[in-house]
Formats: sequence, structure tokens, C-alpha cells
Amino acid sequence: MMIKIDISKKLHGVSQDMSLDVKLEIKEGEFLAISGQSGSGKTTLLRILAGLEDAQGEIVVSKKVYLDAHNSLATQARGIGFVFQDYALFANMSVEQNLLFVKKDTNLAEHLLHLTGLSTLAKRLPHSLSGGQKQRVALCRAFMSRPKLLLMDEPLSALDPKMRSQLQEDILKLHKEFSTTTLMVSHDPSEIYKLASRMVVLEDGKIINDETPKEILLQTQGSQKFSLRGELLEIKKADIIHVAVVAIGQQIVEVVLDAKEAKQFQVGQIVQVSTKAFAPSLY
Amino acid sequence: MNHIDAKVIMIEKKDNITLVSFSSQNQNLKMMSLGLNTPIEEGSQVILGVKATSIALAKNLSGEISMSNQLPCTIVSLNKGELLCSITLRFGDALIESITTLKSASTMNLKLEDEVVALIKASELSILEVR
Repeated sequence: MMIKIDISKKLHGVSQDMSLDVKLEIKEGEFLAISGQSGSGKTTLLRILAGLEDAQGEIVVSKKVYLDAHNSLATQARGIGFVFQDYALFANMSVEQNLLFVKKDTNLAEHLLHLTGLSTLAKRLPHSLSGGQKQRVALCRAFMSRPKLLLMDEPLSALDPKMRSQLQEDILKLHKEFSTTTLMVSHDPSEIYKLASRMVVLEDGKIINDETPKEILLQTQGSQKFSLRGELLEIKKADIIHVAVVAIGQQIVEVVLDAKEAKQFQVGQIVQVSTKAFAPSLY
Repeated sequence: MNHIDAKVIMIEKKDNITLVSFSSQNQNLKMMSLGLNTPIEEGSQVILGVKATSIALAKNLSGEISMSNQLPCTIVSLNKGELLCSITLRFGDALIESITTLKSASTMNLKLEDEVVALIKASELSILEVR
């Protein structure tokens, strides 16, 4: 199976109008992460694939035409599973009923609940579940129709880091079991690295990068593999050397500089802090 | 960061580890690297980098030592602080800097025009730029 996407659509962005132009071929079973700034067209792309928005061009999923110049297949006929940030469960139905609503397949429902450790909660109503449990139910529900294509739009961004990491394990488990071709919008590098086999980066409606997550996410500086961007806050003199204080994310680090380096950099500058992969230690 | 111009003379690979040999100022240098993705081949001209604090100095060196990089140098200046000492060395026609404790510099009685060997572990050497 191969998914061919070649679409374009005029978008009215926040600051300017732009055109979403995406041409992609996705292999069966591939797990593709889509990343990019907000307003770059990620969610619109998913909505177009789902048939929730129209667009010019062509979408073909394993020889089935979803969209071409003459036709646009209805959302229900596309065989797609969705998981969004909000769980969108039916409040008046139990966990089990939420799954069976998609398809009356009790065996599959039991299997999915077992895989994700939800078996004991099958009779509970959504309001009595935690955020992580609700999202697990939403994930199981998306697999009930055995979709050809699974679309996830920042599925875990509302969860705390620990819960996110557990749900990532569940997503990985389900992806292995069902080999569903998956497109996931995500901003989280660790999530993308763990789950995706391929990553595309969108900018102003265009794909600017299409590689493995490692190739895109691993910042390097020549042969230095440990490289982080930060803001130079201060250069302090200490005996005959200098110590640079650099803010990286929520943390501050110190780097020893020689006299020449100390002159070369200005406070406030964005710098790359890098060293070889051999030097840092983990604790 | 010290910059050393060098030429790639050999690249050896095993799994994700790469050992690269260079020639610079008629001396051989070796670098250990993880998953080298810098586009180099034999004959490439590169700029190598090494922190001044990662260079050790030896005088009258004898015996066996596991340091892959042993560069004969001459001391051209010493900047003594209260605890540390910065030593500028001439390596061929290049200048490199080593930072040691002042104690080491005094124990070794380092002074201008001394012949020393600059020692750098292969894992401390990196490629900054391919020319």
C-alpha cells in the first residue's frame, strides 16, 4: 500500500495569506511525524486527508481515490482513524460502549482494552477517568475500525510528561500490532524520536525537511554530537580563564572559554553549546 | 578553542565509531568520533578543534603512553594566573594554547623556548569545519 498526497489549498494565515502545497508519498506501515510552527498548515493537512476540508489535487490511499479533480470521498467512506488532543468520548457511554459504537466487535474491543491496560475500566463512564485514561480510550476507539490510516493531532500535548511517556508506549504497541500507517502532528522531539520512522517539517505551507527524526533532531556542530542552542547571559573572568553562562531551555549551564573566545562572543548572542559525545556524563 | 589545519589521510569505521587519521605540520593526528556525519574523505582539508583545557604538556617524554596525539611544540609565551597558567605553543607554523594548573607549570619549570610535547586524547579532538 502506498499513500500519495499531492494537494494545494489557499490558506488565510494570521499574518498573511499562504498556499499549502504538500506532495508526499507514504509507505504502508510508516509512522510519519509532522512538525512545524503553529500556522504552518499541519492541522489543515490532516483535515484535508480526513475529508473535513476541501483542497485542490489528489489523494490516493492504496489505489483508492480519496480526492481528485472530480471527486472527494466522504469522511465516513475513507476508513480513517482520528485521535485529537481533546478526547471527544461519548459522555453517556461506558468505555466499552464507546469502542463498540464504532464497530460491534467485542473481541477486538477486549483485545484493545487489554493491550492498553484498560480492561478493569471497561464499564466505567468517561467522567470517572483521568486525562491519560480518556486519551487511551480515544486511542483504542480509533483502532476499532481497523483504519488504513491513523491521523493524530497533538494527541498527548494535554497530558503531563509521565502520562505522555506511558501513552507513547501504548501508541507504539498498537502501531506494532496493527501496522497502521500513521500521521502524527507533534512538537515534542522525544515523542517524535520514540515513535516516528520519518519526519517532515512544514513551514508556511511547504515541506522544508523530510528525513529520519534523528537526522532532523540531532543538532551537530561538525563532529560534535552534543549541541544545544542557548543565549549567552554573561562572561565572567576567573583567574586567567573565562566562564560563559548560557541559558538553554529552562536551565543555565557554564562553559569555560579561553581569552580569544571570550572576546569573540557578546552577551545576548544566541550561541551553540557543543562538545563531543564522549565528554558528557549521565547521572 | 584551538584551530589546527589538517588533511584527512585515513578513515576507519566500525559500527557507529569512526577513527580518522590526519596529517598536520608533518605530524599524524587521530580523532575518535561517534557516527561521523561530516562529509569528509581521504584528502579532505579540515580545521580541527581542541579546547585549551584538554591539552596536556610533557617534557622529556619517555615510556609508553596511550595519548594518540603527541605534537612537538615550542613554548612562545606563558600567562601565569594565581592558580592556572595559559601556555602558548608553536606547532609547526601554527599557534596553540594549553591551560594547565600553575602548579604543573612550575613543577615542570616551563619557560620560554622550552621544547615540549602537547598531548591530546583522540576523543578530545573534533572537526570544526571542512574546507
